Amino acid sequence: MSYVDISLGRLLLSLGLIAVAVVLSRRSRLDLEVDLIWGAVRGAAQLIAIGYVLLLLFNHQRPVWVLLLLAVMVVVAAWTASRRVEHGPPILVLLPRALVAIGLGALVAVVPVFVAVVPLHPWFEARYLVPISGMMLSNAMNVVALVFERIFGSTRSEADQVEALLALGATPRQALHRQIRTALRAALLPTINGLLTVGLVALPGMMTGQIVSGTPPEQAVRYQIVILYQLVAVAAVAGLVAVAFARRLLFTARAQLVLPRK
Amino acid sequence: MTSALEARGLVVVREGRRILDGASIVVKPGEAVAIQGPSGSGKSTFARALATLVEPDEGSVLLGGRQAHRIEPTSFRTRVAFLAQQPAMFGGTVRENLETGPSLHGKSLADAQARELMLAVGLDPSILPREASTLSGGEKQRVALARALANEPEILLLDEPTAALDPDAGERIVALLRDLSARGLSMVMVTHVEEHARALGGTRYRCERGRLSEDA
Repeated sequence: MSYVDISLGRLLLSLGLIAVAVVLSRRSRLDLEVDLIWGAVRGAAQLIAIGYVLLLLFNHQRPVWVLLLLAVMVVVAAWTASRRVEHGPPILVLLPRALVAIGLGALVAVVPVFVAVVPLHPWFEARYLVPISGMMLSNAMNVVALVFERIFGSTRSEADQVEALLALGATPRQALHRQIRTALRAALLPTINGLLTVGLVALPGMMTGQIVSGTPPEQAVRYQIVILYQLVAVAAVAGLVAVAFARRLLFTARAQLVLPRK
Repeated sequence: MTSALEARGLVVVREGRRILDGASIVVKPGEAVAIQGPSGSGKSTFARALATLVEPDEGSVLLGGRQAHRIEPTSFRTRVAFLAQQPAMFGGTVRENLETGPSLHGKSLADAQARELMLAVGLDPSILPREASTLSGGEKQRVALARALANEPEILLLDEPTAALDPDAGERIVALLRDLSARGLSMVMVTHVEEHARALGGTRYRCERGRLSEDA
């Protein structure tokens, strides 16, 4: 494999791109300069750190280290997904549920692929397992965050409708049907749009990376197709599990609506 | 004789406040009951607790002599209809609103039934194809009533059905309720308007500080 090496000096040069955005923000008085600089520094620091972690992992490949890293990634994803749910219950209530939704979603998408489509030898090969699981977890995180935000928000603003349905003898599932449908559609739409526009609008990051580092395009494309399908499965499973948890949190065992309080 | 609906010593505490403080009532089959009281007296919470939409901290609700806890909520609420102060219209036409209850239980509503329900609540069946959201406050209240009646309930619970209406429309709603009661439907109406409580023509209770007492 051959690729153009990026020296530290040239990496720093790319900061000029952030400078462009900072100047534009300042000129247009968007007040985003601090966020932009902080984002650029933090993003770079996180990536450099994970780079070293991966290097360590590749050099000392043991299942326990790989699984530990994956576990940390799941926890961070769940924490992020349950942190800013405006109309939902407190984070300590949401966090374990987000963990299960994201974990299950990723599991359903990752395990069958690494068993049947891209068989790994050994099974814990970090070079494949970590980046691909990372993509799945990130998608599951976004889906779960959106589902929570939408369901708790819309149930609060449409509580009179939900209660009117309960009063007509609806089950919680029936009473919340509209809110759930809207939330799931909104959460799944970006993934579906990704499927529809891939290759036409964007060349996905992983495929681009593989091509840049010398993988033949037809193989890179196949990897990308598998990943896109995995992303669909992860979104569907994580979304549905999050919905089931949200519904349980919104109703008592006697089918009474209880809006969560922070 | 078994009561149609009964509440025994309902207590509801929210944020340290006793909203209901041992409220009890017995509604006999076919009886019309008006509960009158100032705002904040707990009467709306009482109606919601009777409808099992609020879980009491103490006390119990009985339907036909049977503990509400032993009846499936979906079945209880099909038999006991509850109308909120400003009932929400569901998206779609008036007809689709009327169908909601039956369709939740896998049933359909025939055209003739839909027209009959409209006439029963004093509305012209010609508005069945109209968007429910475009109706006036009084019309919405009536459509909500027809929507509840589509489930063929045994008891009707109404939380301030006249509060959001102008005086004329309010009086017409009470007259309509009195008609329904005369046809044998048991009902409990919560109101803060004394004339409306009297106009219903049945037993009257006063609600004060979370307790009910029968008006002389």
